[in-house]
Amino acid sequence: MAEMNVPESGAKKGKKKARSKKASTRVDLTAMVDLGFLLITFFMLATTMNKPKAMEVNKPAKDKEKDKEELPEIKQSKTYSIILGKNNMAYCYTGADDDANVKVDSTFFSRAGLRAMIKQRQNEVQQQWGNKDELFIMIKPLPDSKYRNMVDILDEMAICGVKRYAIIDEFNSIDEGIGAKSGNRLKADKGFQIMNTVEAPPSN
Amino acid sequence: MSKAKIPRKSTAIDMTAMCDVAFLLLSFFILTTKFKPNEQVQVNIPSSTAQIPLPDKDILLITVDTKGAVYVGVDDQNTRLAWLEKIAERYKFTVDGSMQQAFKTMDNFGVPASNLKQLLTMAPEERAKVKQPGVSLEVVPPAPSEFMDFVLFARQSNPNLRIAVKCDKETSYEAVNEVIAQLQEKKVNKFNLITAGRGSAQEGEEKE
Repeated sequence: MAEMNVPESGAKKGKKKARSKKASTRVDLTAMVDLGFLLITFFMLATTMNKPKAMEVNKPAKDKEKDKEELPEIKQSKTYSIILGKNNMAYCYTGADDDANVKVDSTFFSRAGLRAMIKQRQNEVQQQWGNKDELFIMIKPLPDSKYRNMVDILDEMAICGVKRYAIIDEFNSIDEGIGAKSGNRLKADKGFQIMNTVEAPPSN
Repeated sequence: MSKAKIPRKSTAIDMTAMCDVAFLLLSFFILTTKFKPNEQVQVNIPSSTAQIPLPDKDILLITVDTKGAVYVGVDDQNTRLAWLEKIAERYKFTVDGSMQQAFKTMDNFGVPASNLKQLLTMAPEERAKVKQPGVSLEVVPPAPSEFMDFVLFARQSNPNLRIAVKCDKETSYEAVNEVIAQLQEKKVNKFNLITAGRGSAQEGEEKE
């Protein structure tokens, strides 16, 4: 590296100008390639390629003073309730009022199961009301259902194009019946939710 | 009969092109890379057809593992400093420069506020080894839970913060709902659930 062309001393001096030797401009790049690929490997392994996607959720603002009466009433024939239980099961029925004769379907999260049922219900609403967007789906996850089920059902809403749906934490007597039959708890045993319903802590 | 002589060729290959390719790829990876944050827990996120990519900055990430333990973290280092200051003020412990430095490097944490100081004074290697139990969600009626405080302070430190909730597939709805209920108590009604894209063309077609 640190070589210099030292003019040879002695006889040649003065007679002839020292000619610098022409060195080849070729450099062995093998080592550089090695280094390049090493770094590539490092960056490939350290990087996260698939960016996570975000599913936006808007919950209605909790207003303690607001009376429940103010909520808009929805006709039974426009509703569909989906209860999420444990073991990836979903229970669906039409109608929200307490009714002993209500028909409850149990299904799995699959294209043939839940999605077919939502589509069928959309068709029914379409026939009755002339617009399938009138359908209102009430999603009621039970405490033992998995987070995956909740994401799946929200996803189904997007896939089936359901415009109106809500996640609801209040249960009627039909839901209680379903919970009891399928061995699901209706309420969490502990936590802020329970405390909130018993005695609302003042927020600062 | 004399054998046909095969002329000896030099084994040296011109590496210039290969070198070019290597460095081209290298520069691509350097520019596009975003390092994996060192997370406290391994979380297996569910997949969905959601298409919106998660924004890169101004994120308050709330991670819930299978057992319902909660970890919180913000991405921006300046926000982290302001956040730590507010937490220290509320829970009455003093923060020195080394603790600030330690907190700056932490992508998320999951310890009760009383143990935060201890966690920050540990050596980095030690901190990586220690098992963090999760942020306390317990509410003792007049006071909000520590989790609520952390969320509130984070939002005060950076008002543009978006809230992202990352839960494991197998986390029970009970645990998720608890976190959401506490967020709503702090007037957070809009948040992002983090999911993995499914990326299947068939699913995409079905969407519309």
